Amino acid sequence: MSASYKAVGWNRQKKIYDGLIFAFCVVYLLIFCGLTLVFNPEVTFETLLIRSSSTLAVLLLHIILSIGPLCRINKKFLPLLYNRRHLGVTMFCVALVHGGFGIIQFHTLGNTSPFLSLFTSNTRYGSLADFPFQALGFFALLIFFLMAITSHDFWLHNLSPRVWKTLHMFVYLAYVLIIMHVMLGVIQYETNPVFVLILFIGAITLILLHLYAGSMEVKKDNIYFGLQKKGFVKVCTINDIEENRAKMFCVDKERIAVFKTEGKLFAINNVCKHQNGPLGEGKIVDGCITCPWHGYQYLPKNGQSPPPFKERVSTYDLEIEGADIWLNPVPYPEGTERPGVIF
Amino acid sequence: MIRPLRKRHLQIWSGIAVLLPVGIICAWLVVPKPVKDHLWQPPSTPVLPVIMKSLDRGNYIVNLRTNNDSSALQLEWINQSALTSPSAIIYKLSASDGIQHIENADLIGRIDSRGTYHFALKKDSANDHQHFVLYDIIHHQVIDQLNF
Repeated sequence: MSASYKAVGWNRQKKIYDGLIFAFCVVYLLIFCGLTLVFNPEVTFETLLIRSSSTLAVLLLHIILSIGPLCRINKKFLPLLYNRRHLGVTMFCVALVHGGFGIIQFHTLGNTSPFLSLFTSNTRYGSLADFPFQALGFFALLIFFLMAITSHDFWLHNLSPRVWKTLHMFVYLAYVLIIMHVMLGVIQYETNPVFVLILFIGAITLILLHLYAGSMEVKKDNIYFGLQKKGFVKVCTINDIEENRAKMFCVDKERIAVFKTEGKLFAINNVCKHQNGPLGEGKIVDGCITCPWHGYQYLPKNGQSPPPFKERVSTYDLEIEGADIWLNPVPYPEGTERPGVIF
Repeated sequence: MIRPLRKRHLQIWSGIAVLLPVGIICAWLVVPKPVKDHLWQPPSTPVLPVIMKSLDRGNYIVNLRTNNDSSALQLEWINQSALTSPSAIIYKLSASDGIQHIENADLIGRIDSRGTYHFALKKDSANDHQHFVLYDIIHHQVIDQLNF
C-alpha cells in the first residue's frame, strides 16, 4: 500500500517472494536443459532455449491460475497471492523469450517481415491438423503483454478497477489460446502421449479447482437469513467470531464482514477497494482491518484507510440481543463513522 | 471479489470446462499417425560375391550374382542416375509367359532414385534363362527388357 507512485514498493515479503520465483525458474531451467542434453545431445541451443522457456511459461501459467481458487479453498495459500503480479510478469518475460526466439528462428530468414511471415507462412486456417498454431501463441503473448505492462496500481487507478479487471480477465482467453497453441503445435510432432497427458491433467486440475472454489462461493452467497426484525437480520452469535477476525455474510446480494475487536463489533463492506479482495478473510493489525491479498488497511469504525490514504468502504449498523448479532444490510455512504456495538 | 465478478468467473470456467477438453481431444485426434514403410524392395541382403552375368545399359548396370557354391542367386541393379519413369517395377518373366502376360510375372522389386539395389532371386532358377522386364506400372508400358 503506497500513497505515491513507486515502480515497486519493495518490502521483505516481496523480496523473499521474488527470490523464490527466481530460484524456481533457475532450478527448472537447469533440470530441463540437463535432461534434454542427456537424452538428446544433438539438440541445438536455439531449440533448447525455445523449449525450456515454453515449458517453464506454461508451468508458471498453471501455478498463477491455480493460486486464486486455492486461496479460496484454504487460507494457507494466501502468501502465494500476495505478490502474484510479479509471478505473472515473470511468466510473461519467459514467454517473450520463447516467442521472440521462435520468431527469430522460424521467421527472420526470409525476405518478408517476421510478423507478416508469422501470419502468412501457413494460411491453412480452415484445417485443424495444419492450423497455424503460432498465431494462437502470438495473440496469447499480446494479452500477457497488456497484462504485464498494466500490472501496477498506477494503471489500476487510472484505468479504473472495472476496466482493469476486465482487461486482466482476458488471461482466461490467453490460457485457452496457449493450450491450443501447444496442442496444435508441438503435440502434432512430438507424438509421445505423455506430453498430452501432462497438459490434460494440468488443464483438468485447473478447471476442477476453479469450479470447486466457485461453487463454494455460490453456497456462501445463497445462505438465507430467516430471522428478521425492523430491517435487521440475525447473522450469528458473538462467540462465532474470533478476536481481531471477522465473519462474512451475504445479505441482499453483497457480502458484509463483521469484525470483533477489543470488546466491540463493527460491520463493513467485504470488498477491498484495491482489487476486490475479501476483507472479511483478513485480520485486524495495529487497529486496522488488513486485506489478506495486498495489505490494504481500513479503520473498523468508519471504513476509511488511515491518512494519507483515501480508500473508503461502506459501514453498517449492528445490534446485539443476548449473544446474538443482528445486522442491518442497508449500507451507509462509504467512510461513514459508526460507533460499533459493545458486547 | 464482488458477486457479479464471482458469477462471471464461474461462468467462464464452466465454459472452459466444456470447450478446452473438447479442443484438446480434437487436436489429439488429428495428430498424424506414423507413416508405415511399404518397401517394394526386400530388406537388404548381403551382396553375393560372384558376378555370373552382366548387362550395361549406360544409365544402369544390371548384374546377376551368386555365391561361391552357387546356392543362391541375386539381381544387382546399379542405377547411375535416377530413372525418368517414377514407377519402374522389375518383373521376371517365366519361360512360358511372354510380355503380353505380365500380370503372371514374378514381381522382383521397384527401382527409382540413383543407387544400388539388390534383390534375392529364387535359387531354383539359377541355371534357367533369365528374362527381366522393367515396367512402368502407371503408363503400362515396358521400359526395358533384360535377357541373361
